[in-house]
Amino acid sequence: MLLDYERLGWLRVALVGFTAAVAAFLLLPVVFIVLLSFGSSRWLAFPPPGWTLKWYEQLFADPTWIDAALTSARIAAMAAILAVVIGLFASFALVRGEFRGRQLLRGLLLTPMVLPVVVFAIAIYAFFLRIGLAGTTIGFVIAHTILALPFAIIPITAALEGFDKSIEDAAIVCGASPLQARLKITLPSIRIGIFSAAIFAFLASWDEVVVAIFMASPTLQTLPVKIWGSLRADLSPVVAAASSLLVGLTLCLMIVTALLRRKLSR
Amino acid sequence: MTAFKRQSFAGLPAGSGGAVPALLLVGLFFIVPVVALLLRSVTDPEPGLQNYAALFGSGTYVRVFLNTFLVAAVVTAVTILVAFPVAWMLAIMPPAIGSIVFGIIILSMWTNLLTRTYAWMVLLQRTGVINRALMGLGIIHEPLPLINNLAGVTIGMVYIMLPFMILPLVGTLRAIDPMTLRAAALCGAGPFQAFRRILLPLSLPGIAAGGLMVFVMSLGYFVTPALLGGTSNMMLAEMIAQTVQSLLNWGLGSAAAFVLLVVTMALYAIQLRLVGAGRPGGGL
Repeated sequence: MLLDYERLGWLRVALVGFTAAVAAFLLLPVVFIVLLSFGSSRWLAFPPPGWTLKWYEQLFADPTWIDAALTSARIAAMAAILAVVIGLFASFALVRGEFRGRQLLRGLLLTPMVLPVVVFAIAIYAFFLRIGLAGTTIGFVIAHTILALPFAIIPITAALEGFDKSIEDAAIVCGASPLQARLKITLPSIRIGIFSAAIFAFLASWDEVVVAIFMASPTLQTLPVKIWGSLRADLSPVVAAASSLLVGLTLCLMIVTALLRRKLSR
Repeated sequence: MTAFKRQSFAGLPAGSGGAVPALLLVGLFFIVPVVALLLRSVTDPEPGLQNYAALFGSGTYVRVFLNTFLVAAVVTAVTILVAFPVAWMLAIMPPAIGSIVFGIIILSMWTNLLTRTYAWMVLLQRTGVINRALMGLGIIHEPLPLINNLAGVTIGMVYIMLPFMILPLVGTLRAIDPMTLRAAALCGAGPFQAFRRILLPLSLPGIAAGGLMVFVMSLGYFVTPALLGGTSNMMLAEMIAQTVQSLLNWGLGSAAAFVLLVVTMALYAIQLRLVGAGRPGGGL
């Protein structure tokens, strides 16, 4: 009985062992980098000869790291808001519209997720060089909004499809205007989708490296660009400290997501 | 079917108005730049196909193409082999244990890409933990070259691609009716036969769709190959970036980008077919 966990017999031992090994493999780099960030060895020796907070001190004492993190947060927040708002409107058209080429439109709006980022990166970089947006915050936000848009559209359309439109119609029959019905009935019902969209869109921009490498200027660089630069230079433990903070952020986002989902889906 | 007709904005088809901002954004800042880039491949520095001739005529670039396909194929194969047993267990495990494994998968997937790649750079280097551990155990006497070569890229890429293979496969495996396997057992099939004749064929659509996705993503990957790979086995995305950024050869870079775009889109279309086949109407 290959699909019956209780009756797998010896095969279960082997498969569970393998799964545990893969889980350890997936966890290894994350745990390792956090441990290393507290190690005192400049050369990243492991196990570390001693424990220290000096890499974190260096990180916070360096204004270029702080600047890069703030720039990333600012750009990701703007890109996420834009992607969610534009994606919300587009999702209504994609789910409820009755027009030819709807599938084509959906395919088109999701293409930025499929096209290799490097192709988009050099295309938008060349374009922005010509119109003077290369190396600007606006340029960054536009490029990241395009990349974040599919991550906003997918959860919102999924939520909208699961929502029974007759409830919205009922509100209109009871005297609500179509706008009121959407704002007060539909939007609250699909809030989990909108919330997921916001998180994914934010992360799509926050973690984005390739476009950022091209778009960055000496005065405007995001956190991934700063890390990329440090990695190409040397494997400084300061990067481990920055990386550990990013792991912490990921954990926070996972916990918040889990809690909010539980609360919202009550 | 619906009780209410939507208002139509200025001549637009019913219900399409909401898509206008997205369409403007994607049209102006995605379609236009990409098309402009592709045009550049046949106009820069002068009109003609010389960039494509240079691309396919030079042994260096042909090697980059072949190496890109080789890496993507190896990564895909390893990812499938590792992901299948895990997805299988996740599909049937008691949820209490399964959710821990799911949590680990999501954590690794959501962790910053550069962070994960950096960790592997440190782990795999000559004096890294893995080499030290293997030497300490007496398995090897010289440090293994695990970074700046195919091994490094494969380990780093498989690590990144695993969630994209495991998660959809769990869905495929959960959708298989356990009764089919019970029937096989009743008819006298042993575990191996049941696996080969029932479980594997039934999960093949999921394996093919996931594998194709991993292959397509690997083809155009930039960050991990650039940091974990060597100069002798450069991949296409890195070559494109370098041609444009360091050599400022936009014509050649655009031509290579066009090749990558065509291959990716063609494979993506096949993937959509595979996934769409299981969903009548290919709905949203």
